[in-house]
Amino acid sequence: MTRLVRVELLKLRTMRVTYGLLAAAAAVTALFSSLQASGAGRSVPPVSTAAGLSDVTTVSGVAMILAAVLGVIVTSGEFRHTNITLTYLATPDRRRVLGAKAIATAFVGACYGLAAGIVATAVGLAFVAAHGDPVTVGAATMIGHIAGAGAGAALLAALGVGVGSLIRSQLAGVIGVFVWCLVIESILGGSLSAIRPYLPYTAATTLGGAKLGAGAFGPGYSVSAQQALPFLAAAALLAAVAAAVAAIASRTTVRGDIT
Amino acid sequence: MPSVIEVHGLTKRFGELLAVDRLSFTVERGAVTGFLGPNGAGKTTTLRMLLGLVASSSGTATINGCPYRELSEPRHVVGAVLEASNPYPGRTAVNHLRIEALAGDIPRARVDEVLDLVDLTEAAGRRVGQYSLGMRQRLGLATALLGDPEILILDEPANGLDPEGVHWLRRLLRRLADEGRTVLVSSHILAEVAQTVDSVVIMDHGRLVTQARLDELTERATQVIRVRTPRPAELAALLAENGAGARLAGPDRLEVTGASGETIGTLAAEAAIPIYETSAEAADLEDVFLQLTGNLADQEAVR
Repeated sequence: MTRLVRVELLKLRTMRVTYGLLAAAAAVTALFSSLQASGAGRSVPPVSTAAGLSDVTTVSGVAMILAAVLGVIVTSGEFRHTNITLTYLATPDRRRVLGAKAIATAFVGACYGLAAGIVATAVGLAFVAAHGDPVTVGAATMIGHIAGAGAGAALLAALGVGVGSLIRSQLAGVIGVFVWCLVIESILGGSLSAIRPYLPYTAATTLGGAKLGAGAFGPGYSVSAQQALPFLAAAALLAAVAAAVAAIASRTTVRGDIT
Repeated sequence: MPSVIEVHGLTKRFGELLAVDRLSFTVERGAVTGFLGPNGAGKTTTLRMLLGLVASSSGTATINGCPYRELSEPRHVVGAVLEASNPYPGRTAVNHLRIEALAGDIPRARVDEVLDLVDLTEAAGRRVGQYSLGMRQRLGLATALLGDPEILILDEPANGLDPEGVHWLRRLLRRLADEGRTVLVSSHILAEVAQTVDSVVIMDHGRLVTQARLDELTERATQVIRVRTPRPAELAALLAENGAGARLAGPDRLEVTGASGETIGTLAAEAAIPIYETSAEAADLEDVFLQLTGNLADQEAVR
């Protein structure tokens, strides 16, 4: 299995889209966290407060979406470009291939989340320094949020691998990820607030320290009255969803004919 | 010689379409076998079933006695070039081969060897998406040869190659065969592989038409003798009584198969049937192939 994971990591290292999505994750996070910080003090708490600074340093949701997109591309892209044939010729055990892809992509996805967490934290601290305000969030908390962003992105990347295997269509998979995270979860979470903590993308963003429901459109859209799942429960939930989707894929589409 | 590839009663149904129908054949160790049939005959589906990419509806296909999926290190046993199995276009050829080498537990040095073998060393750093079809075929062969496999399965490898490339491919296949490898090479054109193969498996409409050594097939390339006589119907009946085939080709002409010129002359003399003219014409191998796959009649109808 180790060799297979190395193979998948080498594939990721030699794909331009891996670096393109990483750059996009960092750039969009920088933009969104800057917008959040510049608006702080008006509709949201100022960065001089712990709540205001946390709202800026936890803007890592887009990186998590892009990690999921990478996961979709890693699997559906092989069907699109027909190199899945070469993959299965080298390793006929398709479930092992799927497992290796999930592990390798989770590793790269974690890098997306960590990069976004670091960028958002840097932006937040820069705004605090620019205003001459004190840093009201502890270093351990900020590091925890960065690590949480990495964990959330890793788990969503693994989930994306399963989704890509299940759907096989790259375009449909990528669109599906954005629609699910930004539209469906917002509608479901807004109309059925009891299930909001259990929605995968929402749960992933809370791992990175974001308020419940803030992942899609920013802290202003969060529901402050409702509590997010504890860290381990949210991580376990995401891992279970990723495993369930991968299991469904391995029993259905992954078994399918490669024609 | 022992068989390294054995296909027994292999059947594949895609919904209502019966793509492969109870196909059985074997490939002997060390032989170059042509896997022939017109487009849509079911060759690619058969090869994909053999390689574990498509599940059979029934029947078995084994390599060295076991299904491909059960081979522990398949890249070391079988090298395959299939249609619609392109490397990721954004990756360079050398990176593609590095990945395949790692997946097959093959030393990195082998990448440079196979690049040299298929004359792609200079283009190794280019992205595969920039390759011509012929270069992609060569890269496919390089991938297949990475694990130095004893068996090669090649699906229409000459597609996209220019005449020089086809010549290069023939020499490579012959060299691989001389090294003792078993090669199963598919084509829809017999002439493309006739200079290379030892035997052929011919299929059409999903079914086996024949499996034969090439020299046996050559023997079937029957000679046609054209005869001009004022009494063609009588001569045709006489020839038929003696086991030959005769077809009326005009008011005073016959086309005879299965009988020599001497036999025709003797029979005609005994029956006092005048013969004005005879000419012999050998059917070529391609005609036999087309006859076997039922395409000759279609082509003649078009003419």
